[in-house]
Amino acid sequence: MAVARAQRWLAFERDGIFLLLAATVVISAMTIPAFRDPANLANVIRQAGVLGILAIGQTFVIVAGMIDLSIGMIAGLVVVLSSVLLYGEAALTLPVVALMILVGGGIGLLNGVLLNTLRLHPLILTFGMLSVLQGAIFSFTDKSVGRTSEPLSILANGDIFGIPWSAILLMGLAIGAHVLFARTQFGYHLVAAGGNPESARRAGINVERIRLAVFVISGATAGLAGVLLAGRLGTGYPLAGSGLELDAIVAVVLGGTLLSGGRGSVWRSLAGVLMLAVISNVLNLLGVSAFVQQFIKGVIVIVAILLNQPRGANT
Amino acid sequence: MTAAATGPRKSIVPAGASRHAIFFVLAAVYLAGLAVSPAFAEPNYLFNVLRQIAPVGIAAIGVTLVMILGGVDLSVGAVISLTAVLTASVMAGDPGNIALAIFVACATGFGIGLLNGMIAAFSRVSPFILTLGMGVAVMGLTQMFTGGTAKGTVSPGFREFFNFRIGGYVPVLALALLLLAGIGLFIEKATTFGRQLFLVGTNRATAILSGLPVRGVTIVAYALSGLFGALAGIALLARSGVSSTVAGQGLEFQVLAAVVLGGTTFVGGRGGIAGTVAGTLVLVIAFNLVNIAGLPYQMQLIVMGGIIILASALYGRISEHVG
Repeated sequence: MAVARAQRWLAFERDGIFLLLAATVVISAMTIPAFRDPANLANVIRQAGVLGILAIGQTFVIVAGMIDLSIGMIAGLVVVLSSVLLYGEAALTLPVVALMILVGGGIGLLNGVLLNTLRLHPLILTFGMLSVLQGAIFSFTDKSVGRTSEPLSILANGDIFGIPWSAILLMGLAIGAHVLFARTQFGYHLVAAGGNPESARRAGINVERIRLAVFVISGATAGLAGVLLAGRLGTGYPLAGSGLELDAIVAVVLGGTLLSGGRGSVWRSLAGVLMLAVISNVLNLLGVSAFVQQFIKGVIVIVAILLNQPRGANT
Repeated sequence: MTAAATGPRKSIVPAGASRHAIFFVLAAVYLAGLAVSPAFAEPNYLFNVLRQIAPVGIAAIGVTLVMILGGVDLSVGAVISLTAVLTASVMAGDPGNIALAIFVACATGFGIGLLNGMIAAFSRVSPFILTLGMGVAVMGLTQMFTGGTAKGTVSPGFREFFNFRIGGYVPVLALALLLLAGIGLFIEKATTFGRQLFLVGTNRATAILSGLPVRGVTIVAYALSGLFGALAGIALLARSGVSSTVAGQGLEFQVLAAVVLGGTTFVGGRGGIAGTVAGTLVLVIAFNLVNIAGLPYQMQLIVMGGIIILASALYGRISEHVG
């Protein structure tokens, strides 16, 4: 009976986020007229774009049993760098975007190499990296610099046939990530390495290489998220990325992915992202102050991790 | 650790090399400072440095206790901001309110620590994420309280007292840091609670099986960390006089860097407050060297991040060799 109950709970934990999201959307749409305005809904999705991309990267990291606190600052660095490099020059958009993804991936590679060679706990390592990157950004500038380009603005804020471009980008990325995660050997190895690194190692999986790969993925997606964020802001605001790492982790955790690693799904993480975007939108529509919203955000973090604990022996 | 003979002799103390490494580093960094600038030989400058780092050092004492236990407290930056603003608000410019203000700030810090401790004790959440989230919530509370600007007025006499230099040399604030470090050392070395911290940090499962009050120890450790955070907030207000909402923002990085430098690892079970004090001094000397070298202030963040990563790696290596 205990087993059956545990299985029911697991099923709820796995898919609960979809129910929760649906319930929140329905209740919000019924009670707040402004919420169901199509323009508002499109806005919710646009707002979810940056966090969605970050959460996809973080899902890989967390499933591998790791965590990456540096992604917010990677995105923040990219916001500043890309705006300075572009300075409104549309023709440079593609090369700069490619470069920024490389920069993000490069920082991720550095994280992965340091993690493997120094054998550090990923929290400590990426927390230190967060500080280093923040210092790098502030050493470079303490006020908004540069200007993003027209194509990036359109990507971040524009629509096609009423569908936000950023939603299309996010869906494309999510499908790619889902395939990589659920249909490739890398994905299987990733789950194995996150669930039980020792067993995975004995089964011949190169756990170190998996860890390196997830940090590169996480860094590269943070680079892409940074470019999109720059498009939304229009300029290189140095504080743009701060705190995004916690939002991304909370989105993944809300999606039912255990912080201990070994399972998770891109779709559930995205549902977590939408959940956060809907909550933030509703609070805005209700006129709740930014300060109260920050308090609520902190409470959501704590409640989310409390709901996310692994069941079992209570040690 | 002479008292260890009476307790269960677990190998909670790593070899001397790693235990004392930070003191050699401190000596080396100090000599480097002396080589760069003769100011490092002046007592006045040194005490000023001590005064400057007092808030970080005080907060680091409490965080050390939590980290010995195998936890961590990243809400401390937000607690410092909140308690600094609270102290100034309760004082409201009246010297008669100083005692009440200090009491309210301490009770608030203690309460937040208590909440951290209860959640950490009765669940299995990652203390890293828990206290990050608590930091965000407390930051929100602070801004709700102040409306996003500076609030409160420091009473006359408050700053004058803490910045008074006894005998012309020793600022009261520097003395307060040393005194609180002494109290922390006493808790760590001479109390049952201190011994239990190390035992729980070394092996939580064994501690539970041995019937140690693991939950109680966890709650007290986090509550103390909140209390020391509040004292750090008061110290920050005394040092700067500014009760801005974001006064303590980012201080958790400095605190963590100081603790990790001092040899108290993220894994728990080792380290101590003596090392933390030395780590705090290394940190502040490093900051001063960054300044003397003419590097921008923001480079401190890079130095700190580098220290957090490298010191953790180094101590991890050493303890691997030892056992």
